[in-house]
Amino acid sequence: MNSLAHTRTWDYALTVATVVLLATLGLQSLLGTFYAWWALSTIPNWEAFGYNDFVRVMNLIAAPQVVALVVVMGLCVPKRLLDRTALIVVSGVMLGIGLVAWVITGSMQDGLATYLALAGLIQVAVVALTVAGTRGPSYMTEGRLVKTGSGLLHLGFIAFAYVVVALQNSAFMLPAFWVATLLTVVGTLMSFYADKLAFRTRVRAEVDRPLAGAGD
Amino acid sequence: MTPATIQAEITALIGTLAIIGTPLQVLMPVGAVALVALAVVPAWRRALGPAITATAVVLLAGEALLAWFHWRLWELAVVVSPETGAITGRVAVPLWIESEKLYVWALTVALLAVFVRRHREELLPGISVILAILMAGAAFWGKPFTEPLPSFLGQYFGYLQAMQSGNFGMAMGAYQGMEGARQFYYNTVYMWIHPPALFFAYGTFALSFVATLLMVTRRRSSFETTAYRWVRLGYIPFTAGMLLGFPWAIMAWQGQSWWWSGKVNMSIMLWVLYTAYLHARLYIRKPGMWKWVAALSIASFLVLLLTYLATYVVPGAHSYI
Repeated sequence: MNSLAHTRTWDYALTVATVVLLATLGLQSLLGTFYAWWALSTIPNWEAFGYNDFVRVMNLIAAPQVVALVVVMGLCVPKRLLDRTALIVVSGVMLGIGLVAWVITGSMQDGLATYLALAGLIQVAVVALTVAGTRGPSYMTEGRLVKTGSGLLHLGFIAFAYVVVALQNSAFMLPAFWVATLLTVVGTLMSFYADKLAFRTRVRAEVDRPLAGAGD
Repeated sequence: MTPATIQAEITALIGTLAIIGTPLQVLMPVGAVALVALAVVPAWRRALGPAITATAVVLLAGEALLAWFHWRLWELAVVVSPETGAITGRVAVPLWIESEKLYVWALTVALLAVFVRRHREELLPGISVILAILMAGAAFWGKPFTEPLPSFLGQYFGYLQAMQSGNFGMAMGAYQGMEGARQFYYNTVYMWIHPPALFFAYGTFALSFVATLLMVTRRRSSFETTAYRWVRLGYIPFTAGMLLGFPWAIMAWQGQSWWWSGKVNMSIMLWVLYTAYLHARLYIRKPGMWKWVAALSIASFLVLLLTYLATYVVPGAHSYI
């Protein structure tokens, strides 16, 4: 397998991991909703006496999934900057720093916040390099606008996750939230509509064909 | 104005809305049946385009009537402090809550349908069925013209009666509830961005769902592209709207149990499913991947419907029961 094929397999594996994690989080949300519905209608005073336990258990179940999602995002984000070996090392180091922060402070929240801050810094570098047009960052998509948009929207999500994890009770919550929202929206807009935003575009003729594997 | 005269004027306003709006509310299920008939009978499908345009125009006229009703309500619905007797503000009731939710969704789908160009002929029958369901739901369940804003009016009339009772403690309690609702619910900037952004997204997702069904039945890539383009259009306001819900929840539900509540869970699930769909579609050219993409798209829309219904069934923060 050549290096391009390796990269594509790696990208595909990360995408599948992201989809699976998103799906399991979705499933947890659905089951949590059904449980809350059942509990509220059958257990007397559940909202007063049982809700806190429910939130605790839901957080407990969600935590490893969120951590895994953050790790996958961490693998996704610097993949644009580093080759795979360096990427795994960097991701491992970032995870290690997050774990050390967790152990030192005794708070998983602090560990996650540290990890997200590192991921955010790397993403800022990725966006800067992409805007500058260097050849370093590798993307699955073509076009500088699409790449910059993709970089910005991932930065926006990391920033939003940081707001949720670390800034909920801070005076910086709202300004940081608006920055995260702006990055996400502008980034998504650029990713989705790069062909309409660009001054010079190569328009590819669309071919209507049978879906791949539709004859299976 | 005294609380009694305010209540009398609002009651008269509701009566006027009912008189003007009742024909429209009757017309909606009739129009719904007609749309389904046009969608189902192949020979009549040519009339679907004009019928949808006419539906959009009629629904817009109804929306204008509702906008007038809300404007008059804003002029009348003052909140006065029992302590100082000063007006603390007016209630700006948005046009997309309570009895008007399904109506706004129907209007959104109708307007989007007018602008559909790509695969217009193929998409319109499916869109018409969804529009018909929404219109029938708005007429029979929402009743925006004959039974408008039951929760708001119930609370506001309760507040007026408490103000008139002469009991200071009761008036103060009702005032605090009303003023809290005014500041953190009706008049907050989030209320004027979060729900409309989501309704617009729901409209585009409905169109994408129809295109996905065509993709599954006809197995052509162009339907997949159409489905993606509608999701793409809706995903941006959807994400922005969802994000805006976060600081609003922190501000409005301070001290309340809203994390992992029914509607919040379902909304998170909806967002992760559409995000998963967009990720999976990056590999649409892989053999067989279209099946996963279609499954995610269909599951996402079904969850959208469940998310909407959850607010009426599952108790907790963000529920209407």
